[in-house]
Amino acid sequence: MFRFVMKRLLMLIPVLIGVSLIVFTLMQLTPGDPAQIMLGPQASQEDIENMREQMGLNEPIYVQYFKFLFGIVTLDFGRSIQDGQAVITKIFEHLPATLKLTFAAMVVAIAIGVPVGIISATRQYSFFDHTSTIGALVGFSMPNYWLSLMLIIIFAVNLNWLPVSGYGGMVFLILPAIALGTQTAAVIMRMTRSSMLEVLRSDYIRTARAKGLTERAVIYVHALKNALIPIITVVGLQVGVLLEGAILTEAVFSWPGIGRFMVDAIRAKDFPVVQGSVLFIAFLFVMVNLLVDVLYAYIDPRIKAQYK
Amino acid sequence: MKEVLIEVKDLSVQYTSEGKEIKAVNNISFQVNKGETLGIVGETGAGKTTTALAIMRLIQTPPGKIRNGSVQFDGKDLLQEKESVLRKVRGNKISMIFQDPMTSLNPVYTVGDQIAEVIWLHEKVSKTEARKKAGSILELVGIPAERGSEYPHEFSGGMKQRVGIAIALACNPQLLIADEPTTALDVTIQAQVLRLMTNLKEKLNTSMILITHDLGVVSEVCDKVAIMYAGEIVEYGTLEEIFRNPSHPYTQGLFNSIPNMNKKVRRLTPIVGLMPDPTEIPSGCSFHPRCPKAMKECKSMKPGNIQLNGEHKVSCHLFDETVVRGRVETNEPSTP
Ligand SMILES: Nc1ncnc2c1ncn2[C@@H]1O[C@H](COP(=O)(O)OP(=O)(O)O)[C@@H](O)[C@H]1O
Ligand code: SF4
Ligand SMILES: [Mg+2]
Repeated sequence: MFRFVMKRLLMLIPVLIGVSLIVFTLMQLTPGDPAQIMLGPQASQEDIENMREQMGLNEPIYVQYFKFLFGIVTLDFGRSIQDGQAVITKIFEHLPATLKLTFAAMVVAIAIGVPVGIISATRQYSFFDHTSTIGALVGFSMPNYWLSLMLIIIFAVNLNWLPVSGYGGMVFLILPAIALGTQTAAVIMRMTRSSMLEVLRSDYIRTARAKGLTERAVIYVHALKNALIPIITVVGLQVGVLLEGAILTEAVFSWPGIGRFMVDAIRAKDFPVVQGSVLFIAFLFVMVNLLVDVLYAYIDPRIKAQYK
Repeated sequence: MKEVLIEVKDLSVQYTSEGKEIKAVNNISFQVNKGETLGIVGETGAGKTTTALAIMRLIQTPPGKIRNGSVQFDGKDLLQEKESVLRKVRGNKISMIFQDPMTSLNPVYTVGDQIAEVIWLHEKVSKTEARKKAGSILELVGIPAERGSEYPHEFSGGMKQRVGIAIALACNPQLLIADEPTTALDVTIQAQVLRLMTNLKEKLNTSMILITHDLGVVSEVCDKVAIMYAGEIVEYGTLEEIFRNPSHPYTQGLFNSIPNMNKKVRRLTPIVGLMPDPTEIPSGCSFHPRCPKAMKECKSMKPGNIQLNGEHKVSCHLFDETVVRGRVETNEPSTP
């Protein structure tokens, strides 16, 4: 298993280099001179020129890139143009809130999606199955921000059960987690259903029934473990969707996470902050997918065997 | 008179697929005596697997449904009992070996655990004890006990089928249903697996239903033979009766389509045509479109089950005196 993880970690290097190249290129293509922005509109041409020299903006582009790459490896994403603080410090400041929200949303999504998907599959075409299919369709098509607003209006403003927005204990987490997790719940539910349906048709499930096992054991012991692989894949990919969705959700609920922090940085054309945050989120996403691969090997001995 | 172990009566099973009714098994009856082996022979699609699954009430509903019939076993009608009663029969008193060993084992559990599960389930022993017993059963089917900790993908097809046999025999069942247990295996391994199965069956004094389309296998293993066509048993008898005197034109066709070392036949005579579409089974005798001896009556009248000598039964108008006599009186040729 250790070798498997090491192998997967090595495979991450090209992925991260790719991401850094994309981020770097995008920032190069963005209009506006960082030196100019940093110094403000009143700065003289000479000051700007000095600043460019100081920031290394006059060096050949590949030198800039390698410096940038070296910075990433040493977790040095530069300093914020707005207040000169190290980007990495700011990221670590805002990250916990985002992680908390993403995690809570994923818990909501899995807690709803997996059981509903299983029941739908075991009772295909039943009333429950049809209802949950419609539910998933509705859940999937509701825009994130719209659902956020609806939840606020119903549960915070009208019923007054939960706070409208803000950051603190569990009560503040409930509405944003539901708002963010609903689409993902729908996606996980559909995947669970189809994956279970396929597994339930397989020969080894018939073998399990022929052993005299209860339907419960057939479903939860024999079928579910086999059905998990595609479900976990979707969960891994949905982490990316949630991190993306967190940007809007954080804005609506005034959630002090990295999403809101990034939106502010984009408005202020704070290049190092945007670069650093995007890279860091990409890194997180990639790590989650590594975790997913490790889980595959843990669940399915055939996948594990490939890495022996 | 031998003691009857299981008696299937008037069993009918249908599937619904895309709004169409598939009559997979139609009103079949047979019995298996204690210690005996019944061979069910027929082409793909004849309804053999469906029959086997119906006995254990494992037909998936939907799409399948047992329409009619009874399965008398141990003084009970298995088709009427509660699920909980059936669960105590499955894997314990009646167990099944499946056709495709490559897909019939759960890929995410070790083979040892998959054998131990059925022991633990039915024999009220601890899990450790069940594992130990699973090990000795693995040895019994010719696999070292240590390999119990391996997963199905680490075994070859023949080995997997041995595991399948181990699971089926773990609880010493009274009836073993083997559904084409060697069809998916290499020819070289088929004989080995078959021998293993029959040896163990003798040793444990288990009755067996062996489903196959290989008459050679039948001649080696079976005591009784049922020939199945389009969801019906068209001929039934002891091994000797069927092999000495195959009577139904379909059975004769089956025999003619196997190469015979003793007779110098230049060419095999396969049965012409295909199995009928199970959504539209032909009227009268369902074999009539392919039957070389079909008569006018065969199209419109369903043949009854006609008793020949001993246990030999056949459903064909050729053996029905009233039909044949009627034909003589009207002077019609028997083959149009
Ligand atoms: N799950 C199913 N759904 C629909 N039709 C089925 C199903 N299983 C079997 N059948 C049909 O029932 C008929 C008998 O099948 P089966 O019992 O598998 O035959 P055999 O085992 O003799 O090859 C075939 O026509 C087959 O297509
Ligand atoms: S009943 Fe007629 S068609 Fe059917 S097998 Fe006999 S002779 Fe052939
Ligand atoms: Mg079959």
